[in-house]
Amino acid sequence: MELLIDHVSKRFKDKKAVNDINLELTPGVWGLLGANGAGKTTLMRMIAGIMQPTSGQVVYDGIPIQTLGEQYRDIFGYLPQEFGFFQEFTVKDYLAYVAALKGLPQRQSWRKIHELLERVSLLDVCNKKISTLSGGMRRRVGIAQALLNDPEVLILDEPTGGLDPGERVRFRNLLSEFAHDRIVLISTHIVPDVEYIATCHAIIKGGKLLATGTTEELVKLVEGRVWSCTISADAVPEYESRLQIISLRNEHDGSVFIRYLAEKPCNAHSVAAAPRLEDLYLWLFPESSGESDRRYH
Amino acid sequence: MRIFRLELKRVLKSRLTWILLVLALLFSALLAYLPTTYCYSNYIDEAGNKINLTGLASIAYEKERQADASGIVTPEQVREAVEIYQACLTSYGVAESYDLPEGVYEKEILPIAPLLHGVKEAFADPDTGMAPTIMEIDPKQIDDYYSVCETRIASLMAMEQPNSPAAQRKAVEMYQGVEKPFEVYPGMSSTITDYQNIMGFLVLLFCVVIAAPVFSAGYQSGADDILRCTRYGRVKLGIAKLLAALFISGLSFIICASVFILVVDSLFGWECTKTSIQMLYSIVTLADMNIGELQCLFAVAGLLSVLASVSFTLFLSAKCKSTVASLASALVFCIAPLVITMTVPGALSTWLCSILPASGTSIQASVLYAITDFQFLNLGGLAIWTPYAMIGACVIEIPLFAFLAVRSYCKHTVK
Repeated sequence: MELLIDHVSKRFKDKKAVNDINLELTPGVWGLLGANGAGKTTLMRMIAGIMQPTSGQVVYDGIPIQTLGEQYRDIFGYLPQEFGFFQEFTVKDYLAYVAALKGLPQRQSWRKIHELLERVSLLDVCNKKISTLSGGMRRRVGIAQALLNDPEVLILDEPTGGLDPGERVRFRNLLSEFAHDRIVLISTHIVPDVEYIATCHAIIKGGKLLATGTTEELVKLVEGRVWSCTISADAVPEYESRLQIISLRNEHDGSVFIRYLAEKPCNAHSVAAAPRLEDLYLWLFPESSGESDRRYH
Repeated sequence: MRIFRLELKRVLKSRLTWILLVLALLFSALLAYLPTTYCYSNYIDEAGNKINLTGLASIAYEKERQADASGIVTPEQVREAVEIYQACLTSYGVAESYDLPEGVYEKEILPIAPLLHGVKEAFADPDTGMAPTIMEIDPKQIDDYYSVCETRIASLMAMEQPNSPAAQRKAVEMYQGVEKPFEVYPGMSSTITDYQNIMGFLVLLFCVVIAAPVFSAGYQSGADDILRCTRYGRVKLGIAKLLAALFISGLSFIICASVFILVVDSLFGWECTKTSIQMLYSIVTLADMNIGELQCLFAVAGLLSVLASVSFTLFLSAKCKSTVASLASALVFCIAPLVITMTVPGALSTWLCSILPASGTSIQASVLYAITDFQFLNLGGLAIWTPYAMIGACVIEIPLFAFLAVRSYCKHTVK
């Protein structure tokens, strides 16, 4: 099982939203990391087949998805960034509607709906209209519909938006269990959501694929660029103006512990810190931490 | 079938759908009742008091007074009615019935009035089309009344369609095929079919409002992004959405038209439906049918028009990205026949009104008015009577726009 994104590009008038992305997705959870506007949603829409690439193609097991058509959609699950639904639907009616469209037999679909509602903790609101639910609950309805047909390829665009920390943990666990022998692609700009469950990550910026690899492989890119030290509280503004500070912690003695990204230590007290995926993200997307773009070429 | 059922359930769960369907039903009953409120008659009773009657009482009174005139309209009866009319007006020294003293018309002319319908028109001047007064008609000429009518249709068509011998020939042929003698059963007026037209147009508008968001609402809310990624989320869902909208529209029109016809015929009397349409509209109307058949044909044409309009609306819905755009454009096409009738001159107006999907039951440009008119579409040497063209256009448009709607839905991509 393999999903090949074969030199896919998408141009909107004078802007290239996705620029010649070539990526081979194999079973496992894939994290698609990128800042807002990086081209994640456009890429996912093309993988979902609801947007035509300007060039290139998406190929599943050697066959373009446009040729596969219904066969591809049969093994496909998708949660878009904006979870749209018809106002008149209750949770149960909506899932029954999607289950019918996914071709689940009627009896099996009720069993599956019940099971999924239980998994996403929505059983007690199953007869409520989706429009009356909170943002987090709606998101969970969206996740449930994507899983209805046990898809071999699951595409989730910013699935954790609106979920509280407990729900995020449950979602991560659910996906980890589900992802066995399946291709799951999760786009996010919230790195911890995929850091520990993703087998591999793909990082895109300005529509281009910057890097792919496991968490361990990717963090190597910022090895020797993550530092920490303790400074006096008065010096914080000065350090902030000079460095890309990742985290700041006030100590009991009035000093401040800082963790920062830099090519070399900014003072003699700094020590190298173990890099994390979030550090790489901030290194590649300095604008995410308020810094200007200055690193990657 | 399961997807169709679920889609039907989804549409029917919308509060707007129910409000519109209930309103359509209420309007149907109300519009069937309203023509009775315009019925008015009066008479002088034995004590010399003027009695005014309205509504159902007026209908019952006129039916009773005109009972002797009901049935088959023979030339002898028409001649006798003309003679009575002429004698009455002569005895009072007046030239028109509205100059008669109060109470005389009700007493002497009202009972024979149904038989006098169309007499002036039948004897209209073949060159100018000007109708004479009844006082100017020689009763002896009425002995060959139906031949006079057939001569009149030829002269009328020569005036209406001077450049189309085919239309003239076709009209004469059609009129020769109309069953004669005519029949008349007093009580009804042409107002009832006008109201059936209004009822049809309102139901058409409601159905279009229900159908307009069928595809575009999904695009607008993003719900469609998920649905079209499912196994049956393209052709099958497109067909299910289309069939559900057509089913709801068709069924609601059938119910509303049935309610209207049942109520109106019950109020005015079922025997009135046997009246030849020539005794209610022009005496030379081309269609061979009675009022009951006209009601049914108009209902069928209205149904086809509603289905064609809904089909077209679904096509627009599949093309538009927002519900406002699909609804606005669909409503423009609903009122287009009315606007075209008022603004576009000549043959172009006739052509456009014959092919637009909403024409079947549009105000002022419906099949009803086409049946009682003498318009033909001229295509080379071929003359097509406009009601045939309207019905034919709808029959073609229903599957055509249905196909285009599903095709557009399947080809829709996120921009």
